[in-house]
Amino acid sequence: MGRSVKKGPYVDAKLLKKVMAQKGTGQKEPIRTWARACTIIPEFVGYTFLIHNGKIFQKLFVTEDMVGHKLGEFSLTRVFRGHGGVKKKEMRIPGT
Amino acid sequence: MPRIAGVDIPADKPVLIALTYIYGVGRTLSGKILQALGIDEKIRAKDLHEDQLSALGAYIEKNHTIEGALRRQETQNISLLRNIGCYRGMRHRIGLPVRGQRTRTNARTRKGKRKTVAGKRIAAEKT
Repeated sequence: MGRSVKKGPYVDAKLLKKVMAQKGTGQKEPIRTWARACTIIPEFVGYTFLIHNGKIFQKLFVTEDMVGHKLGEFSLTRVFRGHGGVKKKEMRIPGT
Repeated sequence: MPRIAGVDIPADKPVLIALTYIYGVGRTLSGKILQALGIDEKIRAKDLHEDQLSALGAYIEKNHTIEGALRRQETQNISLLRNIGCYRGMRHRIGLPVRGQRTRTNARTRKGKRKTVAGKRIAAEKT
């Protein structure tokens, strides 16, 4: 079910402010954010975000195709390590 | 067998049903199309007049995406999702349900035939 048009897209106010601040100065530093529910609006294109996934911040460079999606869609919260019994356990990938 | 909008050849069913043999036209759209053109939905497809056939074809092609064009559009939309690295695209890539359905059971349409993993007991005996 879509959000009502009357309200417009949900954009995190603080995040928007940060983006606008960067726009003024012209620098493009990655912006750290927890606002996964924030819709990506055309103003965000070309900026890099660090989106929290509950554990770490995942880097995302926003391109034009991503407009209309939410930030959280690009920062997965689950890690799938694969199924399988004894064999797979030995091949387990170290790290994270 | 009459031809409407390119290659489609609906049989001797009522036009309302015959039109649904076109990819991209269902019952609802079929009804709307016939209403717009003022054609009785109960007459059989074979009894349609030449003019009505061409009118139907022209109307559908002008106002709706059907067949090849629609299929292309769909695959395009999916590949876009795949390429931007979002959650939905990920689900498409690994062949799991995209719209939040459960996968503990069911989801067989997306996952395909069951791939049974060897039971625990047998694995334990081997080691």
